[in-house]
Parts: sequence; structure tokens; C-alpha cells
Amino acid sequence: MLFELMGVAALLFGLFFCAVGVLGVVRMPDSLTRLHASGKVATLGLFGLLLGTALLMPSVWLRLLALGLFVLLTSPVATHAIAASVHRRREIAGELVETDSAAQPADMTGVDVSAVLSRSRIQDIIEAQERARRHKRPDGRPRNDSP
Amino acid sequence: MIDSALAQAAIQLILLGLVSLLIPASYRVIVGPTLPDRLQAVDLITTLLIGIIVMLALVEGTQNFVDMAIALAAFAFIGTISIARYISEGRVF
Repeated sequence: MLFELMGVAALLFGLFFCAVGVLGVVRMPDSLTRLHASGKVATLGLFGLLLGTALLMPSVWLRLLALGLFVLLTSPVATHAIAASVHRRREIAGELVETDSAAQPADMTGVDVSAVLSRSRIQDIIEAQERARRHKRPDGRPRNDSP
Repeated sequence: MIDSALAQAAIQLILLGLVSLLIPASYRVIVGPTLPDRLQAVDLITTLLIGIIVMLALVEGTQNFVDMAIALAAFAFIGTISIARYISEGRVF
């Protein structure tokens, strides 16, 4: 009975933080602040749910622990990757503002940067291919071009 | 299975709450001004789905749902990483 009460309390804790995180994702004004809010769902909300499930159904606690550890490892990595993509888009938008100083729109964050991105990436890929064509392996053997 | 009526009712209520949380999260997927916003909202939806699957394991009283939740977490991680890399770098690899 005590375990059931503690489990229900932990489940309610998790549901509360899930609701707060979703509310933050809907209401926050900026991409990075929204990332901050959705991180709460991944850690506090999901961990409350996992803890409550482990208390209510003790036979699966090992799998729940494995799931919790996996989410604990992967969630910051995914959040960091999304934040890096937000930062990269802002960098490109800033470069667009600098090069196009005659017409400065008020808000450059909503601009579509995928064309500029792909153009610079194509340049990068061409340079990398030329570098690979000139490249000698450090042990002196020739590059194996045949597949 | 959970036999106490209080715990059973609480589990059903929490499951209902989690499922209804999917609606505002998908609002951010549809409306989100930029591509990273949508990606982040999809990531949030998969996190909520992991919670829902764990609650379903509690309702059904079986262990298999937790394995499904682990598999969903793994695939969601790979998908989020690759799409975020595609957005920021212009290519996946």
C-alpha cells in the first residue's frame, strides 16, 4: 500500500513536469528557451514516470533502469545537436545581414537559409574531394582508387 | 496487474493526461517557425510516447512494453541526431 501511494505520487510528479515542459514548448518565445523547456520533459517528467512504474511494478525495475540510463545519456546529446543547428542557422542569417546591408529585414531568424547552406556545403564538398585526390597516405603507399 | 482501485484509477488518469499532452506538442510541430523547432517538437513527442508506452506496460502488467520503449528511445535518438546534423551541416555524414 505504501509502495502504491509512493508510486502514484511519483507518477503525478512526472505528469506535472511533462505538462510544464509541453506548456513551455508551446509558450516560450525563442528556440533555445523552448529547448530548455523540452529538456525538463526528458529528464524530470520521464524519470518521474519511470520511478512510479518501478514502484508500482517492481518486477521490471531493471529494464526501467536501463531505459532511464539510456535516456539520461542520449537526451543531452540530442538537445546539443538541435541547439548547434539553431546556432548554425543564426550564424548564416547574420552573414546574410552583413553581406546584404542595403536591405536589412527586421527579423532574420525566420529567413530560409537552406539555399545558402547547400551552396556553401557544395563548395566544401568540392574542396574536400580535391584534397582527397591530392592526398598521399602517410605511410607512402598510393591511394586505392579502385573500389 | 495492479489490483488496488486507487492505483488503477490514477494510472488511467495519468495515461489520459499524457495522451492529451500530445496535442499541444503537435501544435508546435505544425506551427513552429523554423526547422529546428519542428525537430525539437518531434523529439518532445517521442519522449512523451516513451512515457505513454511505459504507462501502457503498467496498465497491461507485462514487461514487453518496456522493451518497446527502449527500442523507441534508441531509434528516436538516431533520427534526431541525423536530422539535426543535416540541418546544421547540410549533409548527414
